[in-house]
Amino acid sequence: MNNTKKIVLAEDNSVLSLLLKFRLEKEGYKLLIAVDGKQAIELIEEHNPELILTDIMMPFVSGLEVISHVRNKLNTQTPIVVFSSAGQEEIVLKAFDLGATDFMSKPFSPHELVIRVKRLLI
Amino acid sequence: MNENLYLLESLKHSSPIIQLAWGLSSIFFIIILMLIMYLKYLRNHLRENEKIKAKYQEDYESYLVTYLYSGNEDDTFSSEQQLIINELKKCVADPFKRKIIISTLLKLRNEISGEIAESIDKLFIKLGLLRYSLAKLRNEKWDIIAIGIRELTQFKIKGVHKIIMNNINHPKREVRKEMQLYLVHLYAFKGLDFLNVLETSLSEWDQIQLLEVLQLNNDTEIADIRPWLKSSNDSVVIFTLKLAKVYNQFEAKEELIELLNHKSEDVRVNVISALSHLNIVEAKNILKNNFNERSHEEQIAFLKMMENVYENSDKPFLLEHIHHKKFEIKLFVMGILKNINFEEYALYEVELKKMLTA
Repeated sequence: MNNTKKIVLAEDNSVLSLLLKFRLEKEGYKLLIAVDGKQAIELIEEHNPELILTDIMMPFVSGLEVISHVRNKLNTQTPIVVFSSAGQEEIVLKAFDLGATDFMSKPFSPHELVIRVKRLLI
Repeated sequence: MNENLYLLESLKHSSPIIQLAWGLSSIFFIIILMLIMYLKYLRNHLRENEKIKAKYQEDYESYLVTYLYSGNEDDTFSSEQQLIINELKKCVADPFKRKIIISTLLKLRNEISGEIAESIDKLFIKLGLLRYSLAKLRNEKWDIIAIGIRELTQFKIKGVHKIIMNNINHPKREVRKEMQLYLVHLYAFKGLDFLNVLETSLSEWDQIQLLEVLQLNNDTEIADIRPWLKSSNDSVVIFTLKLAKVYNQFEAKEELIELLNHKSEDVRVNVISALSHLNIVEAKNILKNNFNERSHEEQIAFLKMMENVYENSDKPFLLEHIHHKKFEIKLFVMGILKNINFEEYALYEVELKKMLTA
């Protein structure tokens, strides 16, 4: 039986996605990358991941819509970590209202992200 | 064939206006045809370029991530890293590829912090990109200079501030702004030394951006702002007043009070606001004594200050201005009186209403 924990990463910055994939796969997780919210929702529905990492601002479907979909449509309590940028404090509050578990403000340290991911997936 | 000849023949014998119309139509038709062909070529060329760019970008992103995670424990370059550096160095010589490499580095640099971000900064230097950014500073075009400075800021290249400072009074605002942001991003309060020699005006937007960068910085060592309060550049004084408010600079109390007699009304209004924020009560008596000589804006700023620092002893002064000719001032005075003693205020209000209806 495969015990590798799956993480869906929704991020439109390709190089950041690649870096996080590299880093988290090194830690033994399986990363599923989505370039926008729409793809993220598809991956979440298909793979039922243990953790979701999502950027707030993304093309087509935003991070907020992804959170809303997971919490209200799929009715799952999968931990969701939100990536935000400076000046998006209001949106972060909305994300928490919708059910986000944690948030990280960009620029962030990948090392710190790994610590948070490990803590959430204990 | 015969039909074509017939058409040409009939055109030859038609009136000059019809001939001219046909001539012009033919010319326009040829021009439109040429433009369509050119647009098609341009579109294909751009698409091709985009494809090449995406391909290079993908390669460089992969190189970059591999580079970042293949380092040695002791901070020296591993053989794999050295191979990537050599490969990228070859590409840096080509301006098209160089642009893509810089944008790839920045794409990641802007999103992350910590050790990896520092590694990207080191890679920028190792690839020789610093030389190209510095060369941009010598360019004649102002936009290239601004881009060069921005690159140095984003990759946190210290030690070139003397070269960058040459642009302190550059005629283009954008270049000056990039220079100021470079200094404040990298040197925080120490970077504000440019205020000593700044001759041009700092716009409101420039001031907001500088304050934002300063607040992002964790440097708690705040510079002595007093010399800037004496600057001959009014915008520097106004910016320093904002610093005094944000960083609660009580030490500058004497200098702030002196500024109440500054030649610029804008400075005087701002200093009243700063004194109010810092709760410097000494200023209240000075302003009370020469209230009538001050401009309307200053009077309003002072009354706003009084709202926070009023005392019972201020009552005679307030009563003196309860019938001021300016409604806004009257309103402030009434508000403060109400806060001092609500019951007494009711009497003043009745009296005022009588006066207004008389």
